[in-house]
Amino acid sequence: MFEYLRDPTVLLSTIIFFPAAAALLLCVIPGRHAALIKLTALAATVAVCAASLIPACAAGGNPVSFSLHDGGFQQVVKLAWIPSFNIEYYLGLDGISYPLVLLTTFLSVLALAASWKIEKAVKAYCVLFLLLETGMLGVFMALDFFLFYVFWEVMLLPMYFLIGIWGGPRREYAGIKFFLFTLVGGVLMLIAMLMLYFAGDLTRLSPEQLIASHIAPETAEAVASVHTTGPLHTFSLPALSEMGRLPNSPFAQRQWLGQSLEWWAFLLLFIGFAIKLPAVPVHTWLPDAHVEAPTPISMILAGVLLKMGGYGIVRICYPICPGAAYDLAWFVCGLGVLSMVYGAFAAMAQTDFKRLVAYSSVSHMGYVLLGLGAWSAVAGTQYSTAGWQMGVTGAMFQMIAHGISSAGMFFLVGVVYDRVHHRDLNQFGGLFQKMPAYSGLSMIIFFAALGLPGLCGFIGEFFVVIASWQYSAVMAVVAAGVVILTAGYILWTIQRVYLGPEYKGPHGDALGPLSLREWAIILPLVVLAVVLGVYPRAAIDVMSPSVKRHVEQLTDWTKTRDQTASLSVSPSSSATTPDESGEKGVSRDDRRQWPPVVAVEPNSPLKTAVLHSLQKENDAPAEIGGRRP
Amino acid sequence: MDWASKIPTLLACAWLLPLASFVIILVGGRKLGRAGRGAAWIACGAIVGSFCLSTIALAGWLWINPLAPPADHAHHGPAHASVSSAPEHSRERPAESSLHKSPGSPTAQPLCGIWYTLGEFGSSRVAISYYIDGLTVAMFVMVSLIASCIHVYSIGYMHEELDEVTDEAVRLADGRRLRRPGRFHRFFQHLSLFSFSMLGLIVAGNLAMVFCFWELVGICSYLLIGFYIERSAASNAANKAFIVNRVGDFGMIVGLMVFWAGLGTLSFGDIRNGAGEVVEQGVFSLVRPEKADHDLVIPEGLVRWSARGEISQFARAQAAAGVPAAALPAERIEQWRSSGWGYGLLVLGGLGLFCGCIGKSAQFPLHVWLPDAMEGPTPVSALVHSATMVAAGVYLTARCFPIFVPEVLLTIAVVGCITLLLAATIALTATDIKRVLAYSTVSQLGYMMLALGSGGWVAGVLHLFTHAFFKSLLFLCSGSVIHACRTNELTQMGGLARKMPWTAVTMLVGCLAIIGAGIPLVGGLSGYYSKDAILAQQYVFAAANPHLGWMFYAAAIGAAMTAFYMFRLWFLAFVGKPRDAHVFDHVHESPPVMTGPLVLLAVLAVAVAWHVPLTHWGLEPLLSQARPLGIDQPEFRGLMLASTTIPGEHLSHDASVHTSAALLAFAMGAAGVLLAAVMYAARKLDPADVAGQFPRAYRFLLNKWWFDELYHFLWVRPTMALSRWTAQLDQRVIDYVWDSAARGVTMIARLDDWVDRRMVDRALDRIADAVYRLAIRARGLQSGYVRHYVLAIAVGLVALVVVMSLYWSNASAGW
Repeated sequence: MFEYLRDPTVLLSTIIFFPAAAALLLCVIPGRHAALIKLTALAATVAVCAASLIPACAAGGNPVSFSLHDGGFQQVVKLAWIPSFNIEYYLGLDGISYPLVLLTTFLSVLALAASWKIEKAVKAYCVLFLLLETGMLGVFMALDFFLFYVFWEVMLLPMYFLIGIWGGPRREYAGIKFFLFTLVGGVLMLIAMLMLYFAGDLTRLSPEQLIASHIAPETAEAVASVHTTGPLHTFSLPALSEMGRLPNSPFAQRQWLGQSLEWWAFLLLFIGFAIKLPAVPVHTWLPDAHVEAPTPISMILAGVLLKMGGYGIVRICYPICPGAAYDLAWFVCGLGVLSMVYGAFAAMAQTDFKRLVAYSSVSHMGYVLLGLGAWSAVAGTQYSTAGWQMGVTGAMFQMIAHGISSAGMFFLVGVVYDRVHHRDLNQFGGLFQKMPAYSGLSMIIFFAALGLPGLCGFIGEFFVVIASWQYSAVMAVVAAGVVILTAGYILWTIQRVYLGPEYKGPHGDALGPLSLREWAIILPLVVLAVVLGVYPRAAIDVMSPSVKRHVEQLTDWTKTRDQTASLSVSPSSSATTPDESGEKGVSRDDRRQWPPVVAVEPNSPLKTAVLHSLQKENDAPAEIGGRRP
Repeated sequence: MDWASKIPTLLACAWLLPLASFVIILVGGRKLGRAGRGAAWIACGAIVGSFCLSTIALAGWLWINPLAPPADHAHHGPAHASVSSAPEHSRERPAESSLHKSPGSPTAQPLCGIWYTLGEFGSSRVAISYYIDGLTVAMFVMVSLIASCIHVYSIGYMHEELDEVTDEAVRLADGRRLRRPGRFHRFFQHLSLFSFSMLGLIVAGNLAMVFCFWELVGICSYLLIGFYIERSAASNAANKAFIVNRVGDFGMIVGLMVFWAGLGTLSFGDIRNGAGEVVEQGVFSLVRPEKADHDLVIPEGLVRWSARGEISQFARAQAAAGVPAAALPAERIEQWRSSGWGYGLLVLGGLGLFCGCIGKSAQFPLHVWLPDAMEGPTPVSALVHSATMVAAGVYLTARCFPIFVPEVLLTIAVVGCITLLLAATIALTATDIKRVLAYSTVSQLGYMMLALGSGGWVAGVLHLFTHAFFKSLLFLCSGSVIHACRTNELTQMGGLARKMPWTAVTMLVGCLAIIGAGIPLVGGLSGYYSKDAILAQQYVFAAANPHLGWMFYAAAIGAAMTAFYMFRLWFLAFVGKPRDAHVFDHVHESPPVMTGPLVLLAVLAVAVAWHVPLTHWGLEPLLSQARPLGIDQPEFRGLMLASTTIPGEHLSHDASVHTSAALLAFAMGAAGVLLAAVMYAARKLDPADVAGQFPRAYRFLLNKWWFDELYHFLWVRPTMALSRWTAQLDQRVIDYVWDSAARGVTMIARLDDWVDRRMVDRALDRIADAVYRLAIRARGLQSGYVRHYVLAIAVGLVALVVVMSLYWSNASAGW
């Protein structure tokens, strides 16, 4: 049976759909066997977790083994799904998605174990939970935009019910709020997706680029050599990204309200993902959802769902719309810094334990935006990729680290909530004496969130902050200042909850030691927090080839862009600008010879003219794709 | 034996032993021995092991880098040096000048290397690496030795924690005293973690690693200050310490960013591969390249960084001309460098790093946390908050000295000078024995910073070492007193010398050491050497910068105040009549496990600065050897404040300077001791009268210059207000907007519903009604009478025929 798992198609499909299949199985178990249902669901999540570890553990020769030297997509699965619209069942893993897949399967196990206290409608709960897992895993593995969108929506509905049925007193409000916010994001994504779909054209890619986006060589030759009458649209994310990075990108051309198509697509996608992340000011669903959601759902929400925002930005926004991303980098970074500061301040004022952790999530996810957006590989640094690479690595690491620390924090809150049934920070105190082991573990998780070296939170924050200086000194300084605020609210929380002479709230007698099940949930999180803190390479080595590829592709794009912009500045050089009077009019030979090689003598009139015009107008408007002024 | 490869391994073991101890105690906890007693032995064993390994490493270091005999100070380098804008300048210097650059110290090549890489980005990397020179090794020995003493002492001091503890300081809501299980093992667990972090900070080979351990010692300090977690004063102090330190760390991060962005490395030294080739240039050799004779040169990376705009233009122009990205012509870099580009970044980076040191070493304006940190157990105050961790700021300043430009050094000196005066004045009136010592620590750290900032590298670092010994001694003595009296208040003590002779004598030694007691020009206790060196450096500094002469006087007055408050403390505690009979009755000398370390530290406080008899080997020559290359220039001027000169340290070795400084220091110290004796021992002058004479000044000092209140008003309250405001904004504005949007949609839906019901639906209903009515009317047609139907058929037929005939006629016309 395990032989089949050597096939990427089987393996990846198993990882995604095994939870859904298990959910189907649960449907036939009578609802009165609650324990059996929980056990089956737990077994399913454990099996998925094990399956997701196969690529990491498989030996080098195995077709499904995950290579740490390949920055591109691995274990690619590509099957026709809806051929008439060129929609494919297209999956794959790379260094950016694989850590998130592992995080998802791992946290699902822990969250399901944390669901043991759920008594209400256990069967429905477990079924929805497993469907949710399918949706989350699908989002991280899909390489077809349409498939991505489908999984995105698949994940949405179970989450809505999980909050809306098993939540706290205001669960309906929180559930519908979560649903609407995410739905709006989804709709914006849908619009952008269709924009890109109809603007994209596979025939504009060279065979090499087609092969790079996993189109079979013979198909690629066919696509490239046959003059099709119309454009060949695609939802393939790698192909869209190849198109987006073309010097005469089809997305950069069309204009609407003075902005290119990709600018609008980027903005729509970015808002959609920023809602999920969440970034200020579209974050307000998060505190409500967290406060009302049951503990395991909070763990999943903070640990996995927020990461989809960051993942979408790095997987979709940046590669497909580099021009807009370049122009809007200040916006992305600015929003990140704003979220960091705002979240930290808001967290400081909370009296509800869960709300505090929720706002700390807003603050911590701001680092992700800042790290992803700090586009420092520009002409001024002579296209040095080191800074941005560090920023993106930091952002990716921060997502993993936050997944661990925030899931841990929500679980820890849940532990006391189960015992004393309140979350008022001013009615705690003295837990250290009642529950010493629990408090010690809590301190570790909280310190991880505080960004203490040696624990997982530090690496991401440090990398991001240090790297962002190369993009903008002001933002970097503000971001660095957040460390003070973070220390403030975390230490104050620790003081109010764990320190002090005695417990101040109700049900003090219930504060007993951790049960074995609780130990089994929190201990892996603590161990991971420490391991990733002292051995960050465990994650960085997986990420860095893909991060490097991502950054280098965009840096090459920046270089080409600057060259084109410089060329288009000079009036005498317009002859060398590629002819792009119509998308279809470009002869294929011209396209392949990009960037155009211009033979210029050292002191040619052309160069003189360029230098001259630069001196006069050193900040010439940056034109993308060599548009004529 | 190949010491160069053994020393890093030795130090790594010395560094990791306490970590192992921490992990064992963490896992074993209370099960180690009876009530966790075994934890103490494990921790002590680990730190003593570290000490042994460090000592072996020191021996090895001296074996490969023997100390040179003191040279005569006749030849001193070039006549002047400033930040060279053009490195050619310095290259033209006569070759022999470099030979005499650092008198008495042959170049000792530091050992640098990487233990393990955390991440690589392009050519830059973040790694766990080491940078080992004489300073590192000496610090290792000092820290592990003092930590060993304090570990042993703590076995005695913390013995109450073995059983159930009744905490007198905490009352529960029902008025009872708090009773809790002892936490003996946890104390040693934290101490081990601290030792590990501190040693890691010292061995660190790059600034990022320094920062990691910087934070780790911070968190250890947090845990140890807040060791009595039930006391709100303790947890408040712990929070304050960590947060104030984070303010400093914020500056440090900015410094790191500057250097990382500009230089692409944070490593101190050059990293070499197996063949001895440099694979990664360190910060030091970038800022002070060997080919520029170790003079400070603005590194190319920083020049490039400040010329980003120009480079961007250049790159674009090149791209426009179709040339692939080529290197920038070197002459442009030189041109920018010579106009001082990048110098501002060097200043900013230096100030940023120093900002971190301000926090850690409790310098003005971030000094407020250290006195509060005395809420921790006294051994912690001795180890963390006087001898080692707070000295880390001074250590880092000394370590990064080569990359500091004169503007930064001047800032360091001024901050140090302000701190030393400020803290000394507060110490004059404090009555809590530990707070007097805490302010004294702040003041002495100010001395070190002052010395470093005014160019006295060896003076400052020497004071770090001597201070570590005598201040840990003083704290342990005060711990012994507190242990016996169960109070911190000097006003309840008195006459303790009779009952606690060992403590009294060792504390007297500590007091004498801190005031720099000695016979001028002959010798004295350890403080004598370091304080003299500092004053001598100040003398030279004042001579070079007449407009900053006040700093010399400040240092001298500080010396007098030090003597006064230290002897005030000693007299109040140990001589005279007991002020509180109840306290006095219970006083007893501490057990040998506590007095043993006192005696050992007292011996070291006396002799640590002495040379090994009959040789030239000692601490000072070791530090002279460790002095970074190129910093001992007669004059060091910056580009921004050209009027300020940082004089070289060798100038202060001049006999006349030395004599003046030594005599002045002696006079000041003697004056302070005499005044203290008059007021507190002989009681010729009533302190209360003096305080009454200057009530405002007295209240001002007693309230610590109102710093806590000021900061509370300036920072804490606005931050809290801002956070509340943000939370309100979140709920009242942002959430309101989204909720209103949702409500708006609901309202549109209702409107739609209304339109649907009232208009669309009603219109449809009307149509339906009309049809119905029409149908009702039409029903009349179906009457049931045959005649009606026949008529209808007839009419229909006629009509049909008419229509068809029309059609036919048209159709036939078509044919």
